[in-house]
Amino acid sequence: MTVFIEDDAPVIVQGMTGHQGMTHTARMLKAGTNIVGGVNPRKAGTTVPFTMEDGTVRDIPVFATCQEAKAATGAVASVVFVPPKFAKGAVVEAVEAGFDVVVVITEGIPVADSAYFVELALRNGVRIVGPNCPGLMTLASSSESHGVNLGIIPDGIVSRGPLGLVSKSGTLTYQLMGELSDIGFTACLGAGGDPIVGTTLQEALAAFEADPDTKAVMMIGEIGGSAEQDAAQWAHEHMTKPVVAYIAGFTAPEGKQMGHAGAIVSGGKGTAQDKQEALEAVGIKVGRTPAQAAAFMREVLASL
Amino acid sequence: MDLYEYQARDLLEEQGIETPKAIFVRNIQDVAQAAETIGFPVVIKAQVKIGHRGQAGGVKIAHNRDEAVQAAQRILPMTIHGHKVSGVLVAEAKNILHEYYVSISVDRASRDFDVLATANGGTEVEEIAREHRESVKRLHISALDDFDLDAAMDMARSIGFYHADEAQAAQILLRMWECFKHNDATLVEINPLAKVGDPDDEASKHLCALDAKISLDGNAAFRHGGWAQFDNADEADPYERRAQEHGLHYVHLNGQVGVIGNGAGLVMSSLDAVSFAGQDQGTGVQPANFLDIGGGASAQTMCASLEIVLSDPQVRSVLINVYGGITSCEQVALGILEAIDELNVTKPLVVRFDGNAAAEGLRILAQAQRPNIHVEQTMELAAAEAARLAANGGEETK
Repeated sequence: MTVFIEDDAPVIVQGMTGHQGMTHTARMLKAGTNIVGGVNPRKAGTTVPFTMEDGTVRDIPVFATCQEAKAATGAVASVVFVPPKFAKGAVVEAVEAGFDVVVVITEGIPVADSAYFVELALRNGVRIVGPNCPGLMTLASSSESHGVNLGIIPDGIVSRGPLGLVSKSGTLTYQLMGELSDIGFTACLGAGGDPIVGTTLQEALAAFEADPDTKAVMMIGEIGGSAEQDAAQWAHEHMTKPVVAYIAGFTAPEGKQMGHAGAIVSGGKGTAQDKQEALEAVGIKVGRTPAQAAAFMREVLASL
Repeated sequence: MDLYEYQARDLLEEQGIETPKAIFVRNIQDVAQAAETIGFPVVIKAQVKIGHRGQAGGVKIAHNRDEAVQAAQRILPMTIHGHKVSGVLVAEAKNILHEYYVSISVDRASRDFDVLATANGGTEVEEIAREHRESVKRLHISALDDFDLDAAMDMARSIGFYHADEAQAAQILLRMWECFKHNDATLVEINPLAKVGDPDDEASKHLCALDAKISLDGNAAFRHGGWAQFDNADEADPYERRAQEHGLHYVHLNGQVGVIGNGAGLVMSSLDAVSFAGQDQGTGVQPANFLDIGGGASAQTMCASLEIVLSDPQVRSVLINVYGGITSCEQVALGILEAIDELNVTKPLVVRFDGNAAAEGLRILAQAQRPNIHVEQTMELAAAEAARLAANGGEETK
């Protein structure tokens, strides 16, 4: 079974021909992701050569629009590396083209733009991951297939195992993947650090709950908003699988944005303390450090 | 980005929402003139980006020139809940008949926009929500839809505006929505939206925005000329400003351990680890700052980061915590050495590398043999060591 997206799913990259897009398309290909096209109206009709791990060169075609790319390649997902100014147009195009999954890596998108494309995606049954996230990585469910690496999560830290991971932060995702690399994951999803995101912590928990191969979920939150509290409540009411959490930002001062657009305590709301209390109130263990969260996860798995 | 009241008023007025006559002044010598221009009585209001300023003594009514000057003399030097007063607004005092609360904000949970209003205005919204929960009315606006006159009229009726005021209230709600959309705001709040006028003269009664709070979306600055008109450059923290010039995100925190890392989450986690270590060690050592070098940082970026963090005289040690994803630990190591040489750094630097090129980075640091570089295997150990070194005065080297 796979979660969020099928193994070997064909994928296109929006903004592939930019610097970020080129770097990460090469990385995603090396990780075994089935990238079948790029989108850039100014370079439509050309191909971009990428050197693969075994030394062979793969020419990736560039299309003018998402719709054309989808029709020509059968792609089911798109990864967006388009700069903030043009991100709304790019994501709307992807949603309207009807991809199943659209992963938005871009940081710095105005919240009004995100609100627009997230609502559009919800109405069209398209899953958006992000924005302002490291992406989505799945680990192959069989030896004959490849998982997909959509975004910037480093390949090679983890292999297939019983854990699911969802996180508001990129580097804390890598940190916890590293801490639990010997156990392994079904999928790691970067929910993103913006106030409005396409897949919330709660929605990611729901997907892991529905996936028979995922046995327990690591959830990484941070200050700002109430996504952790909402996820805690949902888990309490609907989840059969254990969740272990880590929350960053206990020392963050009121009213200061801590890097991510959504990471801000305002009017006394959105503190790490509140989140920890809400999670613990429904029996979810919260690590004081990432290492302690990983240790809690080991205990939880041992008791299953 | 939060605006001052005097700036927020301007944005409401641009949409045709009435506010009292007012003049913003920074200096005491301009207060009397401003008050006379407005006409007595006036309200002297501290301009500060924090709530509860009234209870803190930041708002005074003045009936004559002497009272106005005295009030401003008391308010101008004030610091309210840690925020320095940037000036005073000298505003026309209105005769208040009733106070409402209205706001529009980004609703993170429902992923849309939230119109919130109540007939019990005047105090802070948290208190209103606690004491008059049943009176608070909400309306969600989807980003795909719009807010129209019918919806605004329904909202005005449900809030409980006097019948005579419903049409004007609906207009104000619509104009707030225009203000919210047009300016890429994340919050537009009028509290109180007051019914003002002479109690014996029906014709004089109308709604007026007596206070305004607006927050703008920093991510949307590119389509608003960088918000240059709201740039209070002289008021920004000097360290934060320098970091911004280098494209780095820095927050000043007043502790003893400088913290540098990659990724907002990992840096927040590092701050917590330092603070916990200070508690566990019984020293009360705290982080001095948040500094995120971002993804794919170069040696130059790392060098500039150390320079900014070390320019804070309170810093006694620095924790550098990097989990290389796109960022190469090799580049970070080169930047650390560059900074040590250029700035003649003697304070202890505690380094933890993992991920991309961690082994190469650690090799470079080991070969350089600098006595003030301390390498630790995990972020918890590194935070504990940085806290211990800071408590020892930051003088100790290997």
